[in-house]
Amino acid sequence: MEIAQFLNSALVQTSPLLLCALATLVTSRANMLNVAVEGMALTAAFAAIAVGQTTGSSAMALTGALAASTGMALLFGGVAIGLGADFIVAGLGLNILADGGTLFLLEEVYQDPGGLRPDHFPDLWRVPDGALSFLPVIGGALERQSAITLAALVAVPVMALFLYRTPLGYALRAVGEDEAAAAANGVRAARVKMLSVLLSGVLSGLAGAQLAMDRLHFFLPAMTSGRGFIGLAAALFGAAEPWPTAGAAFVFGLFGALGDRLQAFQAPSEFVLMAPYVAALLALTVARWRAVRRARAAPVSEGGR
Amino acid sequence: MSGRATAAAGALLALRGVSKRFGDKQALSGVDLDVRGGEVHVVCGENGAGKSTLMHIIGGILQPDAGELLIDDVAVKFADPVAASRAGVGMVHQHFRLVASMTVAENLYLNRQPKRFGLFSDRAAMRRGAADLIAGYGFDLEPDAVVGGLSVGQRQRVEILKALGFDARILILDEPTAVLTPGEVGQLLDVVRDLRAKGRAILFITHKLKEALEISDRVTVLRHGRRISTLPTAELSERAIAIDMVGREMSPAKREAQPQGEAGVAPALEARHVVATDARGRRLLDDVSFAIRPGEILGVAGVDGNGQTELSEAAAGLRTIQAGAFAMAGRDVTRLDVRARRRLGLGFIPEDRLDRGVSADMSVAENVSVGAYARRRLANGAGLVSVAARDAYAAEKIREFDVRGAKPSTPIGALSGGNIQKVVIARELDLRPVALVVAQPTRGLDVGAAEFVHRQILSAAERGCGVLLISSELTEIFALSDRIAVMFQGCLVGTLERAAATEEAVGLMMGAGTRAA
Amino acid sequence: MRPLVLPPRLAAAVSLLGPAVAVLVGGFVLVLAISDDPLLAYKDLLFANFYSVANFALFVNRTTPLLFIGLSVILSFRAGVFNVGGEGQLYLGAIAATAAGLACARAPQPLGLIAAAAAGAVVGAIYGFIPGQLKVKLGVNEVVSTLMLNFVAMLLTQYLVTHPLRDPTAYGAVSFMLAPSVWLPEIPCLPGATDGALIALALAPLVWLALYRTTWGADLRAAGANPRFAEAVGIDADRRVLEAMALSGAVAGLAGALYVLGIGHRFEQNFSPGFGLIGLTVALLARLNPFGAILTAAFYALVLNGAAYMQIDTDVPRSLVGLLTGFLVLFMTARGRAAAAPA
Repeated sequence: MEIAQFLNSALVQTSPLLLCALATLVTSRANMLNVAVEGMALTAAFAAIAVGQTTGSSAMALTGALAASTGMALLFGGVAIGLGADFIVAGLGLNILADGGTLFLLEEVYQDPGGLRPDHFPDLWRVPDGALSFLPVIGGALERQSAITLAALVAVPVMALFLYRTPLGYALRAVGEDEAAAAANGVRAARVKMLSVLLSGVLSGLAGAQLAMDRLHFFLPAMTSGRGFIGLAAALFGAAEPWPTAGAAFVFGLFGALGDRLQAFQAPSEFVLMAPYVAALLALTVARWRAVRRARAAPVSEGGR
Repeated sequence: MSGRATAAAGALLALRGVSKRFGDKQALSGVDLDVRGGEVHVVCGENGAGKSTLMHIIGGILQPDAGELLIDDVAVKFADPVAASRAGVGMVHQHFRLVASMTVAENLYLNRQPKRFGLFSDRAAMRRGAADLIAGYGFDLEPDAVVGGLSVGQRQRVEILKALGFDARILILDEPTAVLTPGEVGQLLDVVRDLRAKGRAILFITHKLKEALEISDRVTVLRHGRRISTLPTAELSERAIAIDMVGREMSPAKREAQPQGEAGVAPALEARHVVATDARGRRLLDDVSFAIRPGEILGVAGVDGNGQTELSEAAAGLRTIQAGAFAMAGRDVTRLDVRARRRLGLGFIPEDRLDRGVSADMSVAENVSVGAYARRRLANGAGLVSVAARDAYAAEKIREFDVRGAKPSTPIGALSGGNIQKVVIARELDLRPVALVVAQPTRGLDVGAAEFVHRQILSAAERGCGVLLISSELTEIFALSDRIAVMFQGCLVGTLERAAATEEAVGLMMGAGTRAA
Repeated sequence: MRPLVLPPRLAAAVSLLGPAVAVLVGGFVLVLAISDDPLLAYKDLLFANFYSVANFALFVNRTTPLLFIGLSVILSFRAGVFNVGGEGQLYLGAIAATAAGLACARAPQPLGLIAAAAAGAVVGAIYGFIPGQLKVKLGVNEVVSTLMLNFVAMLLTQYLVTHPLRDPTAYGAVSFMLAPSVWLPEIPCLPGATDGALIALALAPLVWLALYRTTWGADLRAAGANPRFAEAVGIDADRRVLEAMALSGAVAGLAGALYVLGIGHRFEQNFSPGFGLIGLTVALLARLNPFGAILTAAFYALVLNGAAYMQIDTDVPRSLVGLLTGFLVLFMTARGRAAAAPA
């Protein structure tokens, strides 16, 4: 039971990370380093709470969140791809915009820079208590998980299917790997990239919605707290492959849950929290080291000419 | 149309009077060509002959200014490569357009995948279609093999399959053997013969004469954008093609024959059995040796892609070699980096001035002063630059080298190509080099600028500098060199004294890699 | 139609002012829409910093770290490194200075201060050197490495200030107070304004001098703008890049150190309201020119502080500036104007 409980809270921690990681992954495969996931998720979180408070419907709140994040993605993609802006600077700009914009709306519309805390907030559909008690461990882990968390879990195989089994997925991978080759085959690179940014927006939106709507039911400024970047780390660690990335995101989520437990034991949680970033950096370093080794010229061979 | 009676019977593809101009360069003038089904038609020529332009027009990448294209005697216009491919023209480029992580089947079907349930890729169908295509041409390829793991020869075969598509009748191969090992070349030629037996019309571009004679039914030679000859292979020899490729116009030498010079003086620049390989182990430079005396100009000719770039980089110190040695004035410099070689007096004029020759966002003064700060006292010991001294130095160089439209503070990007090249030369010659490596010095320059550059190279030699001149322009080679050698497939083939260099000899070296008997 | 060609100095000034003016105009339109008293709002935004000496001192204090980070970014970008690690280097420099300052509490007057500042610079230099080395030797993407290192630095300093260095008698996560002997003095005629501002102002022309009037700087810019050219003429590009990154980190570390030593005199968790990112904006807005950075840093300090006053006096929230900055950075490099930032 303890394990199931632990997994349950780990899963709650993981699901926004997983969604952010998938959001980064889909743009990574098109050869774009997406640092804007953080900002898109934050915007979605705000929209979720705002719309949910006004309409009293979790479905509407979710819709609002996705609309907001996709809108941001459209803006981002339009400027970076359409107007040829530097992808990273534009991404950082989008994050600043999301931060400032949500804060501005908080202050201007809701007159409370501390956050948006509705008295009543509609709850997401979640797996009913005891519905899965026939499954050992996993059943307990999945109980009371929100619809979005379930969607996040399903998103992993769906992403794999998308990338490897659909024409658009092929086109995306081709553009990311060798844009010239893709273009030579008639693939419209700009369109494909824009689509991947929009997909990334949808996934970021789910991340933000999950963050705000699952356990918290409120919005705080900058509440994404770098999850977008941890997702980036997970995607890099997993070399932008769906299953390894999901694994990395889950491990990072575990650290988060562990961190909460360790807090109780007075151990410094900061070092545990550092782990994803250090791990990502190490993974990158090792990957590059191996690539450099492989690229060295072969010694003179007699057979080859 | 009355012209049709004269067209070769059964010509699948024909060109009539095709011309193309780029700026003030006439790339093609009134070229006629035809290819029949079941024929391999080789097109030969050196750099700048117009081969690639011609192929790009057939492939739909470029539009002709004049003339027409006929497929099955019907005039066609290809607005883009897709149109060409739909008309049955397939082109295999030198740089493959394959996605390395995908399989053979996936690459063949890229962007035209069969779908299942409207949403998913029908991989089984792709696999089957690929297997059929492969079997149909008798290639030894697995549909599920990942392209990244294939050898270059095998990848080329995937490219060929793609080009052939499922109903291409005309195949164009652009210098296909440039990246292959000898074994792979043999396999490619087998494939081409097989395609010919199946009735395809094949246009094969190469500058290698042995290959041309081996595979072709007819050979067309282009020179300076004109069709010089089209003859059945049976009537041709390497010698004959070489003469046509190179032409009878030999430009007059701009310098008098140099006396032999005292014996025992160490060569200004020397290469001894230099070998350079790529990551695959393929030799880019194969046992290259030469010795350039002080004051001598060695001209290295050859069609691009035979190791010239690698030679200039290796000599300058930008590329590490796997075997052999370089020496300057008798001193071994193989282990020395660029900086050390420059200190010993090596100057380098790179083949792409914007890529390696200058820093685009710096001023003329900054560009011309690189490396000269200590030597010309433009900065003090701590590295603080005296702007006055630097600008005065730059102004002096601008005057001396007649750099038009430039002041010391002018950004280098504002100058024309010729003037940028003058800045590069000014910088390098100020080193008072002992040895000078010059690669494609007049590429993209107008006649006046080219003349100026030639005069500078000649006066450097007169001052005792040994010059390694690498150029694909034969007229330039003949005008400046004391001795002429040719790069062919990474080898430095035979060296001739200028006086002994005939068009036949040089052409043979460029196309056959052998000396004239 | 020939494009309008302005004399170079005028063109530079225009390209500097353009985005700033656009931001202010856009902001005014927004303020008009939401505020009952738009004129007062904008008056405060633009001028409140000058209403009193105290306000002006705060403005000066705000400009200081922004200018430092801006210069730090300029150094690294000019060397071709997209270094977004300013925030991390700032924090580490600050904590290093705090630790050193606490250790040197009994040292004679200027030595303790100098040691603390130096500690901040050295630690910052190391933290800039690491991603530089990873890039040069292994080609590790510097955006990712510096972003990751930012988080590591922030978490590390968070730990240090909540455990070993924490002052249990004070409220919140703050370090022990530094002894007055290591404090960075204030500007003599401007009470409340730190001498750090003067140091930053002196550093700007030094950075310009280093970049544009030394052979080192010329080599550096060549290595950053066209590494293949640098290679061909024998410039040791790798070494220049490493030196630039170390220097860049040192400047950012110094920023943190001088902030702690001059303002507040203790390390507070999360003391930086995003100086790293705003410093990046400052540098980009200044088109990577050190003198321009003085102007853009001042502009940002003006606007950030001004927004706070604006919020006090009117109903316009201060986050307006954040919102406008977001648009500014988002659009800043549009139309392929990434000439200022390295590829």
